[in-house]
Amino acid sequence: MSHFFAAISLILAGGLVSLVSARHHLFSRAGATLLISAGCVWGLAAAVTTLMGSVTHSVSFQYLNLFFLAFEMDTLSAFFLAVIFLVCLMAAVYSFHYTQDAAAPVKTAVTAFFFSILVVSMALVVTAANIITFMLSWEIMSLSSFFLVIHDYRKKENRYAGYLYFVFSHVGAMFIFAGFGIFYKYTGSFGFTDVHTLTEGAKILAFVLFFIGFGSKAGVFPFHVWLPHAHPAAPSHISAVMSGVMIKTGIYGILRIYSLLELPAPAFGYLVVAAGVVSGILGVVYALGQTDIKRLLAYSSVENIGIILIGMGLGMVGVASRNPVMAVLGFSGALFHVLNHALFKSLLFMGAGMVVHQTGTRSMDALGGLLKSMKITGFAFIIGSLAICGLPPFNGFAGEFVVYLGGFQGIALDKIPFAVSVAAIIGLAVIGGLALACFTRVLGIVFQGEPRTEAARNRTESGTTMLWAMGGLGTACVIIGVFPGWFFNLSLSAVSALNLGYARIPLAPFAQITGHITLGAFVIVVLVLGMAGLRSWFYRAKPISRSGTWGCGFTRPTPKMQYTGASYAFEMVRFFRPAAPIEEQHPPVAGRFPASTRYESRVHDIAERCMAPGVIRPVQFLFDRLRWIQHGDIHLYIGYILLAIVLLLFFI
Amino acid sequence: MFESIVLWLAAVFTAPFFSAVILKVKAFFGGKKGPPLLINYDTLIKLFKKGSVYSVSTTPVFKMGPVVSCAAALAALLFLPLAGHMPVISFNGDVIFVLYLLGLGRFFTIAAAMDTASPFEGMGAAREAFFPIICEAAMFMILIFFYRLTGELSFAAYFSGTGTLGLWQIAGPSLLFIVIAFFIILVTETSRVPVDDPATHLELTMIHEVMVLDHSGPDFALIELGSFCKLFFYAAILSGLILPFETGIPGAGLLVFIAGLVIVYLVVGIIESTIARYRMDKVPQFVLTSFALAFFATIITLELIQ
Repeated sequence: MSHFFAAISLILAGGLVSLVSARHHLFSRAGATLLISAGCVWGLAAAVTTLMGSVTHSVSFQYLNLFFLAFEMDTLSAFFLAVIFLVCLMAAVYSFHYTQDAAAPVKTAVTAFFFSILVVSMALVVTAANIITFMLSWEIMSLSSFFLVIHDYRKKENRYAGYLYFVFSHVGAMFIFAGFGIFYKYTGSFGFTDVHTLTEGAKILAFVLFFIGFGSKAGVFPFHVWLPHAHPAAPSHISAVMSGVMIKTGIYGILRIYSLLELPAPAFGYLVVAAGVVSGILGVVYALGQTDIKRLLAYSSVENIGIILIGMGLGMVGVASRNPVMAVLGFSGALFHVLNHALFKSLLFMGAGMVVHQTGTRSMDALGGLLKSMKITGFAFIIGSLAICGLPPFNGFAGEFVVYLGGFQGIALDKIPFAVSVAAIIGLAVIGGLALACFTRVLGIVFQGEPRTEAARNRTESGTTMLWAMGGLGTACVIIGVFPGWFFNLSLSAVSALNLGYARIPLAPFAQITGHITLGAFVIVVLVLGMAGLRSWFYRAKPISRSGTWGCGFTRPTPKMQYTGASYAFEMVRFFRPAAPIEEQHPPVAGRFPASTRYESRVHDIAERCMAPGVIRPVQFLFDRLRWIQHGDIHLYIGYILLAIVLLLFFI
Repeated sequence: MFESIVLWLAAVFTAPFFSAVILKVKAFFGGKKGPPLLINYDTLIKLFKKGSVYSVSTTPVFKMGPVVSCAAALAALLFLPLAGHMPVISFNGDVIFVLYLLGLGRFFTIAAAMDTASPFEGMGAAREAFFPIICEAAMFMILIFFYRLTGELSFAAYFSGTGTLGLWQIAGPSLLFIVIAFFIILVTETSRVPVDDPATHLELTMIHEVMVLDHSGPDFALIELGSFCKLFFYAAILSGLILPFETGIPGAGLLVFIAGLVIVYLVVGIIESTIARYRMDKVPQFVLTSFALAFFATIITLELIQ
């Protein structure tokens, strides 16, 4: 554990150094990057050692004779720690050139400071071993990320995003508090150890409360409303961390609570799979409807959380129906996807960050043709897209493959587990297809074709550390995709901490799976290289010329005539119109000499739409009625406090 | 193993021949003589001899498109048992792998189309991205059906040896649904009437042909070879399903398999000559039919197995 604390102190020191030396812009950035990266590397090493050794470390500090701050690092924590430190390392490296804004050195330093706090608090959340430590770290995490979301506070939409995020993270925290309240009521202690002694009803209630609380952090439909607002508002390396790892602390919470409760109720599995299928499909449908590249990536995180939930739910169904293979495949597939999603999503956010940084616009329909001048970013983005679509031989496929195998285990079961498994498999298939559509769209509109506006013309990439970070993540995606064995074993080792009752998981049948993925990947690589060789053999000494795209006889094409993102996605989104209403504005062409017309379309998020009249407005109405309490008179407030104390005295 | 590789090579080299059967059938229905059965080889050789013109809008992705889509189709055939023989490679879960492999090919076909900045190709790409989503769901429904019957997740378990015959014995009637569902998937995935029309060029109604509009020379030849192989892949599955006989006489299995292939290609040709292409917004309903059929088939087997 000492290595872990040394690592997080180093990260904190990085943030502090940056804040103290804010006036020296270069020194501030370099100090933050170096110290935070060093801390992340140290922490990563500590986490991987724990994971491979399958040992549990724990430590606790007493605070003022009041309570203990207890930390424990088992393999599950270590797995999440490894993911956190890995992605934050890359984000820290990326931030060095990304935050190169000499005009606002203090703002940069403050961002670096809150970034270091966010990293540390995430690490503390996944190692917290009692209620107080957990909630303390959880709140620090929510608050530090709130300050990162409102980094660019001058824009109204960013303030709105920050506000939304604040509300959602605290309402979520309330649910988590309520769940812990149940724990405390039954066990009488702040520790996690006696939780399995709860009555069954209390366990189910607690699980539902925690699922809502952690689900709102993870971005589970319909509690994801904050996510598409908050992620685009933050700077891109922060979006990468928030989307890649911070929302995974919600997943960690659900898993941890599930293992603490030790109640193999099948209903948990059904609930989680259902939430997963809905989040997965709707997440990617909404992603298809977006025009803002970072919002699109944020919605795609909702989709990937869906895939992770499907895996976890299948694992829970497997536990409930006493099918150890299904349980292990489901959970380890989910965890493996946690790692994979962290890698490719942060890669994609960094790629998008480069695009936004260089072109100054987040609107996809204003871009185009960037692949020609931004080769490294472009190809890194292609790798990320292939990985997120779950295509072999990239890492996304490896994770989804394991989840599929878990789902098929459930097909052999009967009745409800069978139906749930069918839903999970078909859900995964539909998500996969939609993701392919979604990311070919991003690629085609942003990186390929011709530049649509001046903003996208002749933009080159800059920033060596930004390219390094993307290159590193892209390489990791390919390596895990081709050789998933070692990484998959890490997630298996994390599953062993879940109290499933399978003392040691037999690795042989699972090693076979990864071996097959490697074999398949080799088949692809060999055939693609073979065909490429064949192609260049056919092309030797052949006349090759360049000319304009064939415009089907049309002689004056303009870049405006290209297919846009909205037109690409229209049919697909329309297919899902009950859940994704499309709003179109198109003043009709009238008269003999019609004036210029315009077309505008927006895809609405049904959760956001229903929450406004159903939840937000009634609450606002209620609080409007109560506004008279807040008088502004300090004497009155002191009076309130007195009254509260007197009232409380009656109850004690 | 050696036998399997020879069969795989034979499949790759005869795929263009079988595609010509469709042309012949269409010509027959049109009252014409039609092109010779070796026409596709002529086309391929002609294309391989040519040079290429690349659009100034394109990037290296445009050149990767044909390579990857052709490689994906060839790789898919490696996993498929041909004429009841074991495939070259087989493992638990290879069915899922192959479906995603074809997805990889599709990704690069779409990316290559979007690379040209042409509105037509964008239109085709959007459709190519849309319809296979439903197809994939139907494919997985069929896999669930097969898994329910056999407990295995590999092509070898379904289509090699007496595996398919066993399937018919357990769940004959519902397997008929699966055959029809598979046929709809074949039509959609390989751009055939009534979903797409391989004969139209330059209309707003087509999918695959418009996406490859800007490819020329050997690049285009690779695309054509890939699509012949893809059609062969689905036709071989159907052939295994409709004529699953294992006679025990050496060579007879191969003949039965070829007969099955010819039947499938003939049916494709007949449908292409007698039915008009559907309106694009009706296509999703048509493709969903295959999902529904596979779903019903699975529901029926639930009763049979218990």
